[in-house]
Amino acid sequence: MRHTITVRVNGVEERHEVDANQTLLSFLRDTLNLTGAKQGCNEGECGSCMVLLDGKAVNGCLTLAAELDGHEVATIEGLGQAGALHPLQSAFLKHHAVQCGFCTPGVVMTSLALLQENPKPTELQLKTALAGNLCRCTGYRQILDAIQDAAKTMRAQSKRRTA
Amino acid sequence: MSQTKIVGTSVPRVDGLEKVTGAALYTGDLKFPRMLYAEVVRSPHAHAKVLAVRVDKALKVPGVRAVATGRDFPFHTGIYMRDQTIFAIDRVRFVGDPVAALAAETPEAAHEAAQLVEVDYEPLPAILDVVEGIKPGAPLVHPDLGKYYVESFITPKPGTNICNHLKVRKGDYEGALAKCAHVFENTFTVPQVQHVPMEPHISVARVDLSGKVEVHTSAQSPFTVRHLLCHCFNLPHGDVEVVVPTVGGGFGGKAGINLEPIAVALAMKAPGRPVRVAATRAEEFYATVVRQGLTATLVTGVDKKNKVQAQKMYYLWDCGGYGGYGVNVVRAAGYTCGGAYHFPNVWGDSIGVYTNKPVGSAYRGFGMQEIHWALEQQMDRVAHELRIDPVEFRLLNCLGPKKTTVTGQLLEKSSGRVDKCIEKVDEVLKLRARGKKKPFHGKGIACAVKAPAMPNNAASSVIMKFAEDEMLEILISGIDIGQGLATVAAQYAAEALDLPMERIRVRMRPRTDFSPYDWQTVASRQTWATGNAVLRGCEDLKRQLFEVGAQALGAPVSRLELKDRKVIDKKTKKSVPLAAIVVGYQFPDGHTIGGPVATSAHHVPDGLLFLHPETSQCSKPVAKWTFGAQGVELTVDPETGNLRIERLVACYDVGKVVNPGLIKGQTFGGIVQGVGTGVMEELVIDGKDGRPRNASLMDYKIPTALDIPDKMEAFYVETPQLDGPLGARGIGEHTMIPTPAAIANALYDACGIRIDSMPITAEKVLKALKEKQRREKEGEDVQPAAASVAKVRPPARATRREAGRERPGGVRARRGRAK
Amino acid sequence: MLLPRFEYRAARTVGEALTLWAEQPGARFMAGGTDLIAQMRTRRKVSRVVDIKQIPELNQIRESEDGGVAIGAAVALSALCEHPRVRERYPALVECACQVGAYALRNRATLAGNLCNASPAADTAVALLALEAKVVATNMDRSRVIPVEEFFLGPGKSALEEGELVTEIVLPARSAGFQGSYHRQSRRRGMDLASVAVLVAKGGEGAPRYRVGLVSVAPTPLRVRAAEELMEREGPSAIARAAEAARLACSPITDARASAEYRREMVGVLTARGLAALA
Repeated sequence: MRHTITVRVNGVEERHEVDANQTLLSFLRDTLNLTGAKQGCNEGECGSCMVLLDGKAVNGCLTLAAELDGHEVATIEGLGQAGALHPLQSAFLKHHAVQCGFCTPGVVMTSLALLQENPKPTELQLKTALAGNLCRCTGYRQILDAIQDAAKTMRAQSKRRTA
Repeated sequence: MSQTKIVGTSVPRVDGLEKVTGAALYTGDLKFPRMLYAEVVRSPHAHAKVLAVRVDKALKVPGVRAVATGRDFPFHTGIYMRDQTIFAIDRVRFVGDPVAALAAETPEAAHEAAQLVEVDYEPLPAILDVVEGIKPGAPLVHPDLGKYYVESFITPKPGTNICNHLKVRKGDYEGALAKCAHVFENTFTVPQVQHVPMEPHISVARVDLSGKVEVHTSAQSPFTVRHLLCHCFNLPHGDVEVVVPTVGGGFGGKAGINLEPIAVALAMKAPGRPVRVAATRAEEFYATVVRQGLTATLVTGVDKKNKVQAQKMYYLWDCGGYGGYGVNVVRAAGYTCGGAYHFPNVWGDSIGVYTNKPVGSAYRGFGMQEIHWALEQQMDRVAHELRIDPVEFRLLNCLGPKKTTVTGQLLEKSSGRVDKCIEKVDEVLKLRARGKKKPFHGKGIACAVKAPAMPNNAASSVIMKFAEDEMLEILISGIDIGQGLATVAAQYAAEALDLPMERIRVRMRPRTDFSPYDWQTVASRQTWATGNAVLRGCEDLKRQLFEVGAQALGAPVSRLELKDRKVIDKKTKKSVPLAAIVVGYQFPDGHTIGGPVATSAHHVPDGLLFLHPETSQCSKPVAKWTFGAQGVELTVDPETGNLRIERLVACYDVGKVVNPGLIKGQTFGGIVQGVGTGVMEELVIDGKDGRPRNASLMDYKIPTALDIPDKMEAFYVETPQLDGPLGARGIGEHTMIPTPAAIANALYDACGIRIDSMPITAEKVLKALKEKQRREKEGEDVQPAAASVAKVRPPARATRREAGRERPGGVRARRGRAK
Repeated sequence: MLLPRFEYRAARTVGEALTLWAEQPGARFMAGGTDLIAQMRTRRKVSRVVDIKQIPELNQIRESEDGGVAIGAAVALSALCEHPRVRERYPALVECACQVGAYALRNRATLAGNLCNASPAADTAVALLALEAKVVATNMDRSRVIPVEEFFLGPGKSALEEGELVTEIVLPARSAGFQGSYHRQSRRRGMDLASVAVLVAKGGEGAPRYRVGLVSVAPTPLRVRAAEELMEREGPSAIARAAEAARLACSPITDARASAEYRREMVGVLTARGLAALA
């Protein structure tokens, strides 16, 4: 059975037919060719497929595409690009928080969701939020440092905006 | 060493931008028109005869386009030993052994068809334990062992389950042991574990109608994949192209050849159609490759001055169903069997044993974490037994200049300094100069050493060329699996040619048709090998630039320098910009000299020799050694057995820190992987039916952000490696080698218990603590420090006699302690 | 693993959900889907998924008739954990709910889903048991209220009948104010099923009342009344005996996460810790 869904992805309205058994992850990767979110386990354990659904971090592999009708999805592709990186992306570069890069989009999206909810997380809050994003390369230390650094930048930015 | 401007600085990764934006394309991100999806039919039996494979029902499933079975491709493959066929033909050797594969228009159709492949098996007795496997009369996993092609340095024993046996005989072990004042014997075990790269294995192959094969694959070694595919399918190298897109982690699991032959076999059955074979996470655990298990028995003889005089090491490796790659782990563990120590008299046996378990292969450290788990706990135990500080005991016995390794290689000043690493860790963690000890709080140390395990002719090469705008392009075929090779290669070129980093592009996704040869991205060899090749290439580029520059400036070459993207006459200060030279220099009158400036350069290890076949004695068996040490500070929860690693301090002699940010990443990443294998990871294979019991990320746990040490600190000693690029040597693997042993030693310091079997789970800790309490209550131990649950041989006369009586050649296999 | 084929239908009302379920044999209700989708990949055959997330009333957290709180079946755990009234009145539930899965998972997973799986390892189930919550289940004919302590029958088995939809979970007013202390042992610190966990809750005015619940040590989440009574009768001096009562009450098995012996041992240790923390 096919379902027609209308969903905003990175601010762009998309109207597509999806299969009932198609996941959000497959919709992004196979239908929209947005391959930033990765399939690492397909069992909700690794977090490589993390994207934002209505602003909240969700595992793309545990969400059905058919559920998306009327909702809003944000992926790494909508976050920033060369010359206009998001502070999280810049901080990941600065702190060498990237190695193989496979987990990176998921980690960045989880961090983004967290910082939007909690602009000044403690180390423990940050680690807790990231516990669903596995990284086998970095040992997490530089990732944690990068996120705290980005949080600082983002706080300064929002302060400037409100000032 | 001269001052460096770019080498030694934390320049950001050159591939960082594409990774933080999600732009980097991994194999699974590539779209191929009319691609077919494959599903592999795998053995449910650990060991069985394959009587028949029937695919007729599967072929009737709509959308199925190809099926391949063992009889279609009766070719053997394997990097060091060709003991495996693409699909099992008459025998399956582990749960997960491929029997057939199907390719269909959709993954659903392939999956449905796979369920309809009928295989008749006749189950055979399975070897699920190495100790059982080497017993005389054990069922044979490979009855045809004598018929396989084997590289000259691998020595299997046909008629047994031994797929490789390396012997190390140095000095007079037996004679020295007899004279020792103290003898200690212990057995340690390490289970099979899995690499768990975040990107599972995936390969896409296409065979076009002219017969040309194209493979896109997540692999560490495009040229080795090509070479082995060509051998396997009897194809000329010119007709197989291997392309490696961005790779999502390897850790050794993507070295050699993996899913590629399955993809090519199916592609041959569906000409013109790309065929994608992707491991599920479950398959990743049991059906790709794993790290081998180890059972290690060590005997250490110490003289009255606390010097180890005699050391016996008996390593039994659980290689799984096939030994193609793992046999070389067995070899490396053999010629490194004494770790970071100077043992004057050595009896070493490293024996690979076939079992009916997942296939062992390379994994970050290539056997070293496993043997260090045994060696470093043994040294610690001996120190405690002898009532010497473990740091002192290590310093007294460690390798260094003028000391000899187990193969008799004499180390030099430039070989690296483990003593300095030990001292640094000691200084930071205050292991010796400690204050009052808190209960259940402990500190421990472990050393590490590793050399690249590779053929003596393992080569890397680069192609370097300038674009019209003087952008330097460097083509490499070493793979940036995350370690930062592309960045390091660019740093060396920037340094040598005085170019800013942004004027360099490293082409890091090799295609074998166009890219320079590289043996493999393994063995912590790329910074060293590719780095050297880049520096050599830069010399040649400079020569070419100066040749033209000299004519352009009317100055002799000896007066020229390369600076700020110009060739400059040092005397007149006149200069010519590189952009005016790199594709040919044109004089004002239109006359043109020179041409596109480009070069290729290579690196091959210098002067490596084969080991002596009976004793492994050899003056230069490996290219270089990297030494290091890690110290751990932890607390134990005595009621639950939980460990909290508060501090982890690492120090390595890397010769030269090329990029502090990257090397920190290697160090922290290795430490946390080491913590994972040390305290939580184990691929559980059912002892009865050989089936994996935890082949998912829900059941096989790797560390999360919450599981890292509270504080990690990294230090580096820089004793230049003479043949290293600006003095650098490898570091990628070494960072995870000593971690589990350092944790174990800290645990002993904290509460007097020893855990011999990796991993150190809370449950094992609690059990050992209870056992210790029980013993103490019963008054078994007068000396609490020695009250370990492990079987430490006290330095008693009886023990010594027994050890002396033991025939060195006839080492008895001992079972690891019950877990 | 692939998701097998199934139909997806989103219901707008409870009645519609029940009809959609009834007209298709093999249908399943889906709230957050985090467990159901994972299960469908490996073992569970489902012909139709009836999504209940778009039913407005199931997305509410409201005050119940007796002054307690009723939590709609489609409310995500993260929303539950952030809800001011729930946080204030039922902190023990929040303490357990924020241990389920990981951060992102809790944005989808629901209390009802965690309950309906009837897993002995469910972190929230033990809180519901301790807080004497009630499950409201509805089918085509009627609605009924199932006390949580009658809900769990065995691993994966609950008192729900075929076709019954859990619409809400009601926390009684009398359980309000219970402070919780949840102690969890797992193979790693981040995102793991509990190998053993113990919830101790303490509340009540005047003479304190205790609740002790155990996770992953019996075929169902388990409440240990003997331990509670000891504490209520004798106060903090009974901690060791209460912990022993909990140890004796459990019936753990050995599996990949822990051995039966270790689990039993930990029940004693963690119960004592929980009681000590609240005493």
